Amino acid sequence: MAALKIPKPFYEASTQFKNWRYSPQSLAQVRSSLNAAAVAVIRNTFEADEPGSSSAVSFLAPDEELLLVRLYVSKITQLCGFFRFPEEVEATAVSYLKRFYLKNTVMDWHPKNVMYGPPMRSLTALFLATKTTNNPISLEAYTNNIPKTNPSDVLDLEFLVAQSLGFEFAVWHAHRALWGIWLDLQNAPDAPPNRAASQSEVYDTALRHVRASRLSDAELIYTPSQIALASLSMASPELMAEWAASKFPADSPSLSMLQSTLASITTLIESAARPVDVEAVRGVDLRLKLCKNPEKVVGSKAYLAKKAEEERKAEEKRNRKAAVDVQGAMEEGDPFGDELAGRLVDYDDDDDDD
Amino acid sequence: MANRMNWLQGKTVRKNAPSASRSSSTPQVQSTSSTIFGGGVKDPSGRITEYSSDDDQCPVCKSDKYLEKKLRLLVSSCYHKMCESCIDRLFTLGPAPCPICNKVLRKLAFTPQTFEDLGVEKEIAIRRRVAKEFNKRLEDFSNLREFNDYLEDVEDITFNLINDVDPVGTEARIAAYREANAALTLLNTQREEAYILSLRQAEEQDRKEKEARAEELRREEEEERQEKESGRREIIEQLERAEGSDAANVVRRTKRERAEREATRKGVAPGKGAQALLRARMAAAAATAATKDTPHIPLQDDYYAYDDMFVLQSTYVDPLSEAVRKDREGIMRAGGYRVEEAWERAVRSAVAGLDLWPLDSNQDAFQFSHSFDQGGDAIMSAA
Repeated sequence: MAALKIPKPFYEASTQFKNWRYSPQSLAQVRSSLNAAAVAVIRNTFEADEPGSSSAVSFLAPDEELLLVRLYVSKITQLCGFFRFPEEVEATAVSYLKRFYLKNTVMDWHPKNVMYGPPMRSLTALFLATKTTNNPISLEAYTNNIPKTNPSDVLDLEFLVAQSLGFEFAVWHAHRALWGIWLDLQNAPDAPPNRAASQSEVYDTALRHVRASRLSDAELIYTPSQIALASLSMASPELMAEWAASKFPADSPSLSMLQSTLASITTLIESAARPVDVEAVRGVDLRLKLCKNPEKVVGSKAYLAKKAEEERKAEEKRNRKAAVDVQGAMEEGDPFGDELAGRLVDYDDDDDDD
Repeated sequence: MANRMNWLQGKTVRKNAPSASRSSSTPQVQSTSSTIFGGGVKDPSGRITEYSSDDDQCPVCKSDKYLEKKLRLLVSSCYHKMCESCIDRLFTLGPAPCPICNKVLRKLAFTPQTFEDLGVEKEIAIRRRVAKEFNKRLEDFSNLREFNDYLEDVEDITFNLINDVDPVGTEARIAAYREANAALTLLNTQREEAYILSLRQAEEQDRKEKEARAEELRREEEEERQEKESGRREIIEQLERAEGSDAANVVRRTKRERAEREATRKGVAPGKGAQALLRARMAAAAATAATKDTPHIPLQDDYYAYDDMFVLQSTYVDPLSEAVRKDREGIMRAGGYRVEEAWERAVRSAVAGLDLWPLDSNQDAFQFSHSFDQGGDAIMSAA
């Protein structure tokens, strides 16, 4: 590096590094503050609806929300399998969904029962991902294949989702990094000539771990390359050690850091790989039905009140506008009468000439 | 007919209407059409192509194409349409209020309609006016940001004018700008004119050169033809004179002589050499006259792309991309897909950020995400 200024690494210029990188503690903090804010808002709405009614409601805790989000993520995987979307679409949609729920809570805007159909949020995130990763599908083909879904369900939320993502659609993925590691392993000096073919099951196992990591918070804490390497180390520690040794000198601090990081990613992936307890999720979902923001539930008192308020405002605006229009018309007088009366003779003359 | 010629010189062409001029008994009408040459939008040939449709109806007297075949609607300066007879009726005696919006109008201010949508007509007129006043260039500013701010200001003013937002304030802004920048505006106008003039001169030069070339070609052809003619005559004469000698010999000799003459003529080629010299000289002059062009640098960010962390192979054993590489017809590689680039991206992302420490709870990034979180709340409650 002869340059005077040390150039910025490429990855650190990405929005993923700048805006979507958390520590485990800050992640928990963000979620709990988001949850607290949402609970406060919804509680107020309940109280405004019927004083005292909020005490009977048990709101969701942050980790219960997380449980639901994990379920949505697995729904995305199912959907992608159904539509045969490429891996990139799936990974991007999962990232979008996770990022979305760092800005919003499940208690707000939860239009459908999770257990009977995928929530609109994951549908929209997936649809958005097909577009941002250049695998477009027509909206009709998309919604026709999902029961009880209209195109408007997906489109209505699309902007909200994009806005919550901060319009940062580019995502660095661990599966690509894993592919890169697998390619680069062939480059090792003492690599057997047909390693990629003979040890392909190692790659498949590692890819399974990468997929499992999508259910965890790993991508919000660690870099994609670290996640990929951790997945590889779970599949074959020797290969991982070989590759890492080729990248860093044996005594570098980076290597030891990498070791500890890989260990914590491994724990994350292992815990994510455990199947979600369906009964627990069902319970959470039942409670969610009761503690949803009533303003967003069609037919509830708060919803009607909000609609009425909006209607009243619109009506007021219309009235104001109408008043101005009438006034303006009165001031102007009849735009035609006078002028025409004064010049009518002239007009006749003209006609005669013709 | 004379009237009609007037019309064409005025360069107004009616799109759908028959071009018959009005009867001579209404000279006022003719004067209306001859007063409107300032307005309208001209096409590249400098003519105004006027818009008219079969559904045209004068909003003032309600006469339409059915009642009056020759109906022609003109647009006032307040962008209201009126037929010519209404204009004559209302405005012949001097300025009068518009029957639709009461703005005082004069007969001269009516222009032919170019676009179906009068909003477009208005916008173009306003933009033309604004461009005349606000003609600063990038060179007039110390940095790009100031220039962009200026452009935004201009766009603001244009928008206000188009949509009639705060007309008094906007006019005041324009007046203030005009006062402050009179000298610069004038200078830029002159610069613009000089530029247009230079373009026109270059065009003229080009045209002249082309003409000269064509002329020269013609002359050469003529010479060649004459040469051939005289050669034939020469052969015939020689054959007549030398009865005794061999006819074939004579023909051969004359042909050789002619070929020699031709060769000398081609070798000199005086016209072409002079012209090439002239052109080279002109190109050199243009090069010195043109402003120095600094090389364009599209990206000034200097990123470290982990290039020292990996060595890219020319090929890999890669089942993932096999389908693409085996695709003989190249359908999957359409649009410029190169598997090497995909490999490079993958390997790069494999080493990108490998040695990044995960964030600690007490780092400033947390503050950042927390403030973001507030924004998230705002989205949530507003939605």
